[in-house]
Amino acid sequence: MYNDEIMDRYQNPYYFGKPERYSIVIDEASTSCGDKIILYIQEENGVIKQIKFEGDGCIISMVSTDLFCEKATGRNIEEIMRIDESDYVKNFPVEITPGRLNCALLPIRAFRRGVGRANIPGNLK
Amino acid sequence: MLDVGSIRRDFPILQRKMDGKRIVYLDSTATTQKPESVINAIAEFYRNYNANVHRSVYKLGWEATDCYEQARKNVADFIGVKSEEIVFTRNTTESLNLLSYSLEGKLKKGDRILISSMEHHSNILPWMRLEERGINLDYINLTPEGFLDIEDFKSKIKKETKIISITHQSNVLGTINDIDTLSKIAKENDSIFIVDGAQSIPHMPFKMINGIDYMAFSGHKMLGPLGIGVLYGKYENLSELPPFQRGGEMIKEVDFHKVEFEDPPIKFEAGTPNVEGAVGLSAAIDYLKKIGMENVRSHEKYLTRKALDSLSTLKNIQIYGPRDTEKRGGVISFNIRSEAIKRKIASGNIHLDGLLHSHDVASHLDESNVFVRSGHHCAQPLMKYLNIKGTARASFYIYNDIDDIEALVSGLEGIDVQ
Repeated sequence: MYNDEIMDRYQNPYYFGKPERYSIVIDEASTSCGDKIILYIQEENGVIKQIKFEGDGCIISMVSTDLFCEKATGRNIEEIMRIDESDYVKNFPVEITPGRLNCALLPIRAFRRGVGRANIPGNLK
Repeated sequence: MLDVGSIRRDFPILQRKMDGKRIVYLDSTATTQKPESVINAIAEFYRNYNANVHRSVYKLGWEATDCYEQARKNVADFIGVKSEEIVFTRNTTESLNLLSYSLEGKLKKGDRILISSMEHHSNILPWMRLEERGINLDYINLTPEGFLDIEDFKSKIKKETKIISITHQSNVLGTINDIDTLSKIAKENDSIFIVDGAQSIPHMPFKMINGIDYMAFSGHKMLGPLGIGVLYGKYENLSELPPFQRGGEMIKEVDFHKVEFEDPPIKFEAGTPNVEGAVGLSAAIDYLKKIGMENVRSHEKYLTRKALDSLSTLKNIQIYGPRDTEKRGGVISFNIRSEAIKRKIASGNIHLDGLLHSHDVASHLDESNVFVRSGHHCAQPLMKYLNIKGTARASFYIYNDIDDIEALVSGLEGIDVQ
């Protein structure tokens, strides 16, 4: 369906699973298409020490969440909050058509909403 | 047999090539394409007849009014009712909302409304809003094959059931409900019987039956333009209903603290109406009449049979809805099972269904210009009932042919790989 990079990541995501330790949980559903992700974040002093996810959804949203976790690991929450959506989509390993934007942006939007709710340093409220 | 080649030539959009290839439009359940005659009728109205309707004393105003009222008559004739029983709305959703607001006064706390588990949101949400006022909303169960469970229907009709509102044809399962039988059962209980005809009026011969109090449908799903819908109501019912919206056109007389409303249907058409929409819908009806609704229906039965047979050869397909083309319309919902998606999940609230996501299926087909719908099709309660997140959905109309079915099946073969 998609290229090998996408399909490999979909079938064997690197960041899938529930870690033993985490300080923030973000549980987000895209109700319009039934996608669901849970982000488990181990945060220390505004830095994302570890981030993993569980979820079920389309190939684009699951691969995007895995890629997002890769991108976010070791970075400041503040920095991740500021990711530019159009840059993110532009750099995605497969072309994102307008109808699939929400799928690709699911992890970023989930992260923003979830971190916005959590009372943590680096929070851009 | 329809001459699909000649029909296709009437639809400018179907001449379009994308990436040098023909487009395979399989989403007529969402909206249909428009023939040249409809496009021309709209342009002709603006070129020659445009003026505001109903209150003009000058010649152009009469002509515009005449265009609008002729369109109303054409719609009325098409379903076998009187002109004054046809209210123009924006779409099926607005027609059903009109009923929800205008019938509200007839309901009291503890009354019940009965709908089915296969309804589109447009025949759910207008009724769900009344739950806030102490009205109970009941849902008829379905049989495993995707028909309404008639015994369940009968058992859910209580003396408090004041309204029964059912789709004539499911926009997901394709199931054609036996409206005649349902209306008789509804009338034995003196319930108001409403039919959502959005998916039936465009696709089959239909003449109004006495047991139907109200019926809603949309112009854009039957070759007409967007933004024009229809509500049929028996004249005596419409007469006693209060208006839905208030404002221009819909009054006989307004005083500082008093108003006398116009008679139906104008009472329900507040503000300047969508005249171009009505004119376009009327041209669409002329086009359909020329083809003949019997022919429309038999063409769709033929395509649906072919599609069901071909799709069934795929190893991993799951098709929803009845298989008997006598009892279903030309809309096929399906999913592709995938063994690749096996994950261990610790969280209890994630449900893995082992299906490729319908958006991925639709995106894959899109690459070969095969356009199908994906997702919940505005029928989330039905998706929950079926315990799935969504489906891909291919739907057919007069301009589809066997080549389109073959393109669909061959597109799916690429992902039917296990």
